[in-house]
Amino acid sequence: MSIPAAELLPGSGGEGLEYLDLGGAIAARSPTQLFWRRFRQDRVALASLGFIVFLVFVAFGAPLIVKALGLPGPAVENPNLTDSFGSPLGPSAAHPFGVDQLGEDVMSRVIYGTRVSLEVGIVGTGIATFIGVVTGVLAGFYRGWTDTLLSRLVDVVLSIPILLLGLGIGAACAVRGCVGGAVQPGVGEILFLIAFANWTYIYRIVRGLVLSLREREFVAASRALGASDTRIMFREILPNLVAPIIVYSTLLIPLNILLEASLSFLGVGVRPPTASWGQMIAAATPIFNTAWWYMVFPGAALLLTVLAFNLLGDGLQDALNPRIAR
Amino acid sequence: MRSIKLVAPALAGVLALTLAACGSSSSSSSTPSGIKVAGGIQTPATESLTGGKKGGTLTVLNHEDFEHIDPGQTYFSIDYEAMYATQRPLYSYKPNTFSAVTPDMAESAPEISADGKTVTVHIRHGVHFSPPVNREVTSADVAYAMDRGTNPNVANPYYQGYFSSIEGAPKATGGPIPGIQTPNKYTIVFHLTEPQGQIVADALVLPVSAPVPEEYAKKYDAKSPSEYGNYQVATGPYMFKAESSGKVLGVGYQPGKSATLVRNPNWNASTDFRPAYVDQINIQIGGDTNVIGRQVLEGSGMVQNDTPAQPIVRLAYEKYRSQLQISPGAGDHYVAINNSHGPFTNVNLRKAYWAALDREAMDKVRGGELVTNVMTHFIYPEIPGFEQAGGLAGPKVDYNEHPQGNMAVAEKYMKLAGYPSGKYTGSATVQVVGSTGAPAPEDAQIANQALQNLGFKTKLNLVDQSVMYSKYCGVVKEQIDVCPNVGWVADFGDPQAVLDVPFNGKLIITNGTNSNWGLVNHAQINTAMEAGEKVVGTGARATAWAKIDNELVNEAVAVPYDWDKQPNIESSNVVGVGDLWNIGSWDYNYTSLK
Repeated sequence: MSIPAAELLPGSGGEGLEYLDLGGAIAARSPTQLFWRRFRQDRVALASLGFIVFLVFVAFGAPLIVKALGLPGPAVENPNLTDSFGSPLGPSAAHPFGVDQLGEDVMSRVIYGTRVSLEVGIVGTGIATFIGVVTGVLAGFYRGWTDTLLSRLVDVVLSIPILLLGLGIGAACAVRGCVGGAVQPGVGEILFLIAFANWTYIYRIVRGLVLSLREREFVAASRALGASDTRIMFREILPNLVAPIIVYSTLLIPLNILLEASLSFLGVGVRPPTASWGQMIAAATPIFNTAWWYMVFPGAALLLTVLAFNLLGDGLQDALNPRIAR
Repeated sequence: MRSIKLVAPALAGVLALTLAACGSSSSSSSTPSGIKVAGGIQTPATESLTGGKKGGTLTVLNHEDFEHIDPGQTYFSIDYEAMYATQRPLYSYKPNTFSAVTPDMAESAPEISADGKTVTVHIRHGVHFSPPVNREVTSADVAYAMDRGTNPNVANPYYQGYFSSIEGAPKATGGPIPGIQTPNKYTIVFHLTEPQGQIVADALVLPVSAPVPEEYAKKYDAKSPSEYGNYQVATGPYMFKAESSGKVLGVGYQPGKSATLVRNPNWNASTDFRPAYVDQINIQIGGDTNVIGRQVLEGSGMVQNDTPAQPIVRLAYEKYRSQLQISPGAGDHYVAINNSHGPFTNVNLRKAYWAALDREAMDKVRGGELVTNVMTHFIYPEIPGFEQAGGLAGPKVDYNEHPQGNMAVAEKYMKLAGYPSGKYTGSATVQVVGSTGAPAPEDAQIANQALQNLGFKTKLNLVDQSVMYSKYCGVVKEQIDVCPNVGWVADFGDPQAVLDVPFNGKLIITNGTNSNWGLVNHAQINTAMEAGEKVVGTGARATAWAKIDNELVNEAVAVPYDWDKQPNIESSNVVGVGDLWNIGSWDYNYTSLK
């Protein structure tokens, strides 16, 4: 809603006071506009956002991009592209990032690997965030035994080393899956792990904020107007949490991408022939001396992606929460 | 089958093949089985077993540790290298043969009775145990060694596989075993319940037949597990460095760190055929294989004991060729396909898969022709029966004639299997379980791709190698359809040791870890194997088992793809001698310094 600036000033009726003539109505900035005004001044964050948008484009358009570049598919094996020792051939015009031990095109696999990283990063974080927000709001709002129960559960989950848990789940669910087949090896297993472990971080942040917000006047006012608990939690309190949730979720994404890469590196993550950067780095390790390109390109993709999400998270933090800006 | 970590196979037999020792530093050389090795590279066929310089210390760099050092327990190539330098089984192999055994603790060849139910071995006079036992070895010491193989505290891994026909052995728990008799100090007789004298005699090359002094070892064998390995005494040219009490652990062997072999003061060269050139062998355990490889190639007085990393092999080939040694006959790798359950019960589907698979590509990811040969049947090079079964080229069947894979032939068999389009149109999803650790995942992917090319939906999973065997491919109830990374190492140079366990339906183990990974259970093959087990005489056995090999190919019970060749590297001042047995590892008894 636009309010003429003069109306905001005391005594806008004009009796006995002189005011500056502001020359007409001035539109106040909405929170979104304020956010964007601050965010766009952060060029690093903007560049990161641009890179992430590019990654999303690459992920969705992988088949078209690979075709447009004249590259073979990510799982097309060609033993003729390895030498007599089985060593892969390096970068060339036909294969700009070289090939791997199976003669698969590394660039094609890096492009397709974007899909796995983003799927794990964004979907996994989304699931974890959803669980964390719901449980955090419930615990903070109701307090008492709900809070105690959920908080102790969080303590337990946080005490579990996630990488070891991942290795354990990877081994237990290796072939037939587990939890009645609900958790299957590969991406499903990693999403499960992320959801299981990472909701706790969001939970703690949300719970703390809700504990504070539930005592504020606007909550008392809603209650006085007869609003239900559900309405208060999710229509009154939750909108106030959007900024921190966005910031922390954004910072969780690169952690989850790295987790996927780590698990795939250790052999319990994404399974071949699905392309994954972590798995490619693992496969490249024994032959790094003779095939540097096989490690460098997926490694660079992983590094840039994680860096972009981290810088974006920092930028969002600064823009959404200027009081604690650096 | 012994434990193999990165490569494959090895032991005994009786066929005396003539060594086709040819080649020079400028042309390729070949081994008895006709395996070619590039010029300038040493092989067991080109290495001299005599004339080495006496003295010096050899340093061995091992990425991996021993699994066991007790001769009753060892079943791993790295263990064997130390074992055959410190212990003397009844028979053993010289480095350049896997088909002719040499009497070692025995004085002469085993005497097998006409009915195949009695094996008599005469042992040498004048062989003494190392300190603190010091006394002469007698047949009773060999009998005790064989007895303790059945002791649960020793838990010998192969005893029941080869010696269960000895009277009383199946139920023995440490002996004395009624079927093992010692009529005098220098004679031991094995009485059998089945006419399996040949296989028992062949298996006497295994370490369990190395003598153990009962009066000294019994107290250690009473512990669970036996601690004899940590206090062992030697009969070979070397012994683990030990305290005067005989204690080895912490002195001559520090698990995960090092081991030291020194000369056995009681060893009498006149009773042995080994030259034992070096004075001491220092074994360093641990480290990255790439780093170890470079240390060895650029250093002095060293050999790498386990398989060098692929880039190191390449580096050695390109820059240090004279320091590279290749031993053929290092076992095999094949794709096990489930013959008893799922789509591959159809023989034509198995043949189609064989035809479609790019076996050459699978070998290429293992290092190419330098360290592999495309496997075309199941008895592998250096084992009697290899030539009769088809040699390197293998049986002339169309699905075997295209190592790079041939989809036209594959489609022919798909049609014969009932899929007129040449592609699989059934509903089954093929469960493929391979192992992690290069190059197994790459091989598994090629095998998986070939299935997809035939129209199969697949589910590929990679697990640790030990998990692959113990939880999936080796567990009957898991009913895994395809295991692309299995391999076999013969325990001795006899074709039965290659074919029997992995392909005999009667040996499928349903309540434990099964080694017939493809659940191969064809009546005519089982019957032929039963007859083959009773054949006596190396030549006759080679012929009989070669026919069985051909049957296995005709049934396409699995898809063979790799006959391994073991690469070994040494420093420039080392004259290493590799074996044709024991997966082609270095032989400490013959290796010397320049």
